[in-house]
Amino acid sequence: MNQLIIDGVTKQFGALKVLQSCDLTVERGSVVTLLGPSGCGKTTLLRSIAGFVTPDAGRIRVKGQDISRLPPNRRDVGYVFQNYALFPHLTCRDNIAYGLVVRRVPKAEIARRVSQALDLIALAAFADRYPKQLSGGQQQRVAIARALVLEPQVLLLDEPFNALDAQLRLSMQVELRKLIDRVGITSIFVTHDQQEAMALSDRVAIMRGGRIEQIGSPLEIYDRPRSCFVADFIGRANLMPTQVRAGRTEGPQAIAAALPDGPATLVARPENIDLTPGSGPGWPGKVTFLTALGPVIEYEVDCGFSVPVRAALPRHAGVETFEPGALVTARIRDEAAAVVLPGEPNHA
Amino acid sequence: MSGPRQMISLGDRLARGMLIALTVMSIVLLVAPSLIVIAISFEPRGYIAFPPSGFSLRWYWALLERQQLLDSILVSLRISVMVMVVCLVLGIPAAFAGTRGRFPAKTAFNAFLLAPQMMPGMVIGIASLFFGAYISFRASDLMLVLSLSVFCLPFVVRIVMARLAGLDPLLDEASANLGAGKFETFFRVTLPQLAPAAFAGAAFTFIEAFDNVTVSLFTSDVRARPLPVELYYLVQFESSPLIAAISSLEIGLSLVVMLVIARAVGLERFGR
Amino acid sequence: MLSRHSPEASAPLSPRGLSVARFLDGGGIWPAVPALVYLLVFMVAPIATLLTFGFVDIDRGTVGEGGFTLSHMVGVLSDPLVWRLTWRSFWIAVVSTSLTLIFAYPVAYAYGHLRGAARTLLLVAVMSPLLTSALVRTYAWIVILGGRRGLVNQTLLTLGLIERPLDILNTSTAVLIGMTQIHLPFMILPLLAVLSERDRSFEQASLNLGASQTVTFFRVTVPMSMPAIVAGFALVFAVSYTNFIVPQLLGGGNYSTIAVQVYEQTIVVLDWSRGAALATLLLSSCFVFVFAIVAAGNWLTRWSEVRR
Repeated sequence: MNQLIIDGVTKQFGALKVLQSCDLTVERGSVVTLLGPSGCGKTTLLRSIAGFVTPDAGRIRVKGQDISRLPPNRRDVGYVFQNYALFPHLTCRDNIAYGLVVRRVPKAEIARRVSQALDLIALAAFADRYPKQLSGGQQQRVAIARALVLEPQVLLLDEPFNALDAQLRLSMQVELRKLIDRVGITSIFVTHDQQEAMALSDRVAIMRGGRIEQIGSPLEIYDRPRSCFVADFIGRANLMPTQVRAGRTEGPQAIAAALPDGPATLVARPENIDLTPGSGPGWPGKVTFLTALGPVIEYEVDCGFSVPVRAALPRHAGVETFEPGALVTARIRDEAAAVVLPGEPNHA
Repeated sequence: MSGPRQMISLGDRLARGMLIALTVMSIVLLVAPSLIVIAISFEPRGYIAFPPSGFSLRWYWALLERQQLLDSILVSLRISVMVMVVCLVLGIPAAFAGTRGRFPAKTAFNAFLLAPQMMPGMVIGIASLFFGAYISFRASDLMLVLSLSVFCLPFVVRIVMARLAGLDPLLDEASANLGAGKFETFFRVTLPQLAPAAFAGAAFTFIEAFDNVTVSLFTSDVRARPLPVELYYLVQFESSPLIAAISSLEIGLSLVVMLVIARAVGLERFGR
Repeated sequence: MLSRHSPEASAPLSPRGLSVARFLDGGGIWPAVPALVYLLVFMVAPIATLLTFGFVDIDRGTVGEGGFTLSHMVGVLSDPLVWRLTWRSFWIAVVSTSLTLIFAYPVAYAYGHLRGAARTLLLVAVMSPLLTSALVRTYAWIVILGGRRGLVNQTLLTLGLIERPLDILNTSTAVLIGMTQIHLPFMILPLLAVLSERDRSFEQASLNLGASQTVTFFRVTVPMSMPAIVAGFALVFAVSYTNFIVPQLLGGGNYSTIAVQVYEQTIVVLDWSRGAALATLLLSSCFVFVFAIVAAGNWLTRWSEVRR
């Protein structure tokens, strides 16, 4: 069953089109990430779901009920703010209780549900501290508990890891995903960090210029990007200009393409590029630079394109290594490449 | 401290010495007069001497026999409380509009709200006196309260505005998201966070109203003078340690108020 | 399937909130209306009256028969004494404000380098005079500077440095000392706010580029705090220029400034027309000077304008 349906949501701030007819369907219990560079409209979309932004057009439905016209306080969607927005004058416990108190829930039940929530986030010992007395990670957990204690239909999280340092971020991502699975709540994240999006979500929606450019599972998007922008935004990609003729690309390797005849761009991940010494079938080139990354060595190969082709080769035995200056042939392994229409890659 | 020290040039060391010397002088300048007044208030003899020739509370007891002074203290306390109330009632909503409101010419409006700050107290006092005379309204407790409130309003407005501007607007959204209506958000989120600022503003207004000479001299009732006006005349015509005793009490009061402010908002934030 | 542009969805959403809710939002100007009305009635109207009184004959608080007259204004402006006192007010204010700056800057600078208890104590030292009545502090100076038994004279006499008591009280020096001390916190606070939050990397850059600490102080720290210096200077100038308590109490009976004149004409002589004319002169000249200070300050700190 679909928990949340966003249909044609459009928003304009002055002359700036922040959201252009966004559609998104979120299944019950799944985790979706809105991913895109800053200014792509992802936070505005999230805020429209919570009711902080009023869309100019379009509808938002939760469990089949249209909530687009409800004020934020009657929407029943949880929201975790980027800076957590914990009330500084209330203790951890009172922050979590806030939503229950304003709903006039009986005191005994409040106490029960709050202590449950505190156990859930393993912060029972910190219940009577003020937000300022908690670490960033703890504050985040309180903010999440504050939203979850109301058992909302959807949980919205606006860049929840932004305020944390890199070390903590990684462990909190795993923790949070586990927590969401345990509670089984439908969640929507907003982030600009593709690694985070891949790690957290069942599905990723890539946004650009107020539009949703592609939706799919992380691997789907990684393997079959539908545009140069998506290819470049998710992971690293070689973008090689080519021509499509009769459903196949021209050049050393003919790759199946569901595109009409004309110019196109070949998208190949560095780890799918194979290098062989000397000449052979493929793109001939010269190694210009190499970076030893540990598990792989990444080569930059000048194949006559405007940017070098990047190839990441594993370091186990039997894989040849090359020195700068070596003449090689680059090939796409197993035809693992996508063909998209040419377009501007992301340089955000 | 141990460990290697950097070699600092003679010029820099001299300059640093100058800086430290000036700082120390300033602090002495700031604090010494008050300390001297307090010391003098314990003088057992009938005239001022420093250091005092002994220790006695004679002048504090003498204070209790000066009915006029005691009356003026009561007048001042009454006036100050009223001024405080007027300023809070007018100032807090005004600060709200000034920070959160959306209307044209807001900058000009805010400047107007803080304008009394730019007016010398004497000008506000004389203007009130003249305006009162013009509409046949005599200098009285009421006029004193009204004119002092003009003078003190910016203190409340400024402190509350600063606090409001510092409040995270996301907290309102968070509250709405958790199900609270506008009223509930105001009373449960905004007001509690505003309280310390309002409190500090009130304390400062109180002490300012209690100490003010420049306005009070022109608008207070001649028959029931407030303490600062009474003192103003006393200082000119009397030179016994009695004045030091009253002054010491005032210094004590202001220290208490400062402590209150420090607890409420922190001195540092208040300084701005 | 949902139709994409159904009429209800694109219709304007229901206006949220009643006027009460708008009040809590601070949505409009109207929470400030009481304060506005109050200031209009009890500040603007009185000041308008004050300005008007300089241009009519006032007899015992009521407007006389003659109507509009320039005679009081002309009388004030053609009085050489008034000009002499305005000049005195001006230079007393300039000198004492400059002294205030010299004493205030190091304190504000030191504050940024202090931590913990020392920092708090310094702040208490700065704030406590602010909360102590100016009258009490003026009185303190009477005690310190005054007569034979004054603290200064006593000390100097005891030490044998002087044979006869110095006459400090009732001179310009006393007025200057008193004003400087009383207005010191007004100068320190704006400087302190800016200096304690300044970005040290500019100073470190200067040191790294080979400037000494002294050079760094004068070429980086001080210029970068110019806006605060100007603000403090303008504020302290204004309060010094219009202060009539200190000149009266520390300057003695014969010592007068333009502010003292305003007080005397209004309260002692009871010539309200002249008082009003003098007050108008005081206020307008004060604004002119403050405006000049701010303009000069902005000219000196053009970089701060450029940056915006």
